[in-house]
Amino acid sequence: MNFTPNINLTRYRIALYGVVVWMTLVILGGFLLDIPRINILEHTARNLYFHVPMWFTMLAAAFVSGYQSYKVLQKNDLIHDIRAVEASRLGVLFGIMGLITGSVWARYTWYVGTPIWWNFDPKQSLAAIGVLIYGAYFVLRSSVDDPEKRARIAAVYNLFASSTLPFLLYVVPRQLDSLHPGAEGNPAFSEITHPIMRLVFYPAVIGFIGLFWVIYTQRVRAAVVEERLAQREDQG
Amino acid sequence: MTNHPIVQEATQEAGQPADDAIHTAYDTTWATSQIPEQGPMGSERFMLAEDKLFVVLAVVLIIWAGLALYLFRTDRKLTRLERALEERS
Repeated sequence: MNFTPNINLTRYRIALYGVVVWMTLVILGGFLLDIPRINILEHTARNLYFHVPMWFTMLAAAFVSGYQSYKVLQKNDLIHDIRAVEASRLGVLFGIMGLITGSVWARYTWYVGTPIWWNFDPKQSLAAIGVLIYGAYFVLRSSVDDPEKRARIAAVYNLFASSTLPFLLYVVPRQLDSLHPGAEGNPAFSEITHPIMRLVFYPAVIGFIGLFWVIYTQRVRAAVVEERLAQREDQG
Repeated sequence: MTNHPIVQEATQEAGQPADDAIHTAYDTTWATSQIPEQGPMGSERFMLAEDKLFVVLAVVLIIWAGLALYLFRTDRKLTRLERALEERS
């Protein structure tokens, strides 16, 4: 199997500085932009800027890792395996952060006055299943010792895992009864979402995906060094 | 629960429409006791204050914690690599 790492460091640094400035503005906008207070939601409507982009980022990460897994099979290059692993690790991280933030948000809005943290809302359950499907990817990887075999088997499984995610996060929950906006085929932005919130929401989505890209590249750099060291070790 | 109907008082205040009678107490228990309104308990006492702004704070802190966790993981990995390099040289 080949190993030809090519990381564009200039692009990475531009993205790094850009993301730091961009996310600072998003957080400021998220807290300072005045929004109408809606009953039950109150200020927690601002979580739209933080909780929802987690899922967009997880989807982006799944797309990147799925693409890299396809490249593993196509090019037979270990760098794509490294990229696929790091992308799905971050995807799981963002998925778990999405689950926890959603749980906290629901506890103090939908389930206020009750001790309910988790209520098997369709979107919640299917998102958790998505995270578990990715968990199996790492278990599968760790069970194969030969790096070449591991890269190929994991790539095949990852193609399945990443292709289920759009269905689990978007397609299926929309057809089911759910407390989430966007259920039963409705548009995800419900009529109670004030248009001004889009002003921060879309930049937040871009910002979090950018943040994912920066951390992902950073991790790939470290993994490339690790792989190079291991290969030198093998050569003596 | 037993109801204790109050005899409707004949003297209505002047200018008050008759169909407002529904607002007069029907039950003495209801009329005399306070509505048992329980304030928010436990974590809700804090989280529901300030129009629930602290829920947003909690969400942002969770994301920050997740990212920090990852920072430490990457840091551990780099330390391991540095050690491996030193052992070789």
